[in-house]
Amino acid sequence: MTIVLLVVVTFCFRLSPSAHRARQMLFVYLFCLAALVVLWFATPDDLGLLGRSLLTEPAWLDFAATMFFFSAAFFGGALQLYNLCDRGFSLRILVDMLEAPTGVVDVDYLTTNYSSGRGLVWMYRKRIDDIVAARFIGQVNKQIILTAKGEMFADLFINARRVLGLELPQ
Amino acid sequence: MTSSPALVALVAAAAWFVVFVFVHIGGVRAGFENARWLLMSYATCFLGTLVTAIAVTAWQHGLHAVILAAMMAVLTSACLLALYVPALYTVLTSLSVQTMMLLRRRGGTLSEAELYNRFASRKIMEHRLATLLSSGYVTHDGPSYRLTPRGRAIAKFFRPVNILWNLGPGG
Repeated sequence: MTIVLLVVVTFCFRLSPSAHRARQMLFVYLFCLAALVVLWFATPDDLGLLGRSLLTEPAWLDFAATMFFFSAAFFGGALQLYNLCDRGFSLRILVDMLEAPTGVVDVDYLTTNYSSGRGLVWMYRKRIDDIVAARFIGQVNKQIILTAKGEMFADLFINARRVLGLELPQ
Repeated sequence: MTSSPALVALVAAAAWFVVFVFVHIGGVRAGFENARWLLMSYATCFLGTLVTAIAVTAWQHGLHAVILAAMMAVLTSACLLALYVPALYTVLTSLSVQTMMLLRRRGGTLSEAELYNRFASRKIMEHRLATLLSSGYVTHDGPSYRLTPRGRAIAKFFRPVNILWNLGPGG
């Protein structure tokens, strides 16, 4: 089903590209999840070929494991692959270095030519626009303001960094 | 009463994963380098998962059940790691998350100029290049940088996905 999901996502991205690709992927995931539930109930436990000793029992555990494995493949696999390719800062630096004419580049070259010449300001604008769209922050007169929802998530991340013993942004 | 091999595998994988999370966090807090410590602690706990699932199942069941338990344990553990690592790196490296944390610690409001100065500057590029350097993806070439074979392989692997998914340059 994960392969089906990747194929459907590829068709969606190529034939009907959206500004919100992560949301588009989430819809495909929900569609595939529903199809998986139907398939699970429609097929026999042994799929007509497995021996009894190879069945996951009880049946509820088999169902739960199926849903978990598929969801993990999406949230930890397919969605992360998209995130890396579309938003990965480090990965994009590596690709820019690969595409550089000489292969040897300095910090100024990478800062100016980040993402095939779009630059770091474009990179950060994209992130600001995304967290504005998600209503974590708002923009008023060249000021960036954290929303109540943003505060809640910021606290969560701050606590996570504290648990890891890492310094917080000052 | 005998326990289900699948249930044994799932419980073993979940229990060992909890151990891994505690060991990993403990190591990061103690100052170990994150990526290497993550890999080492996970590999150890993965082995623990496999040995536990196989031993407990073999005690009560035959070979087929042991194979089922081992496969379930491997898959469950790998899935848990696949969910843990992106969440961890979001906290560690995401610029969006860092922006929100900075705003929270600075009273909830900052000027656009200050944020751009901090997160879209030469300094952030230097910082990320230092991380890539320590991870072995790039190397120094005089005052400049070039890709290592490992960095080149990563870049070459992901570039076709951008093309296939029509994502543009990305970043």
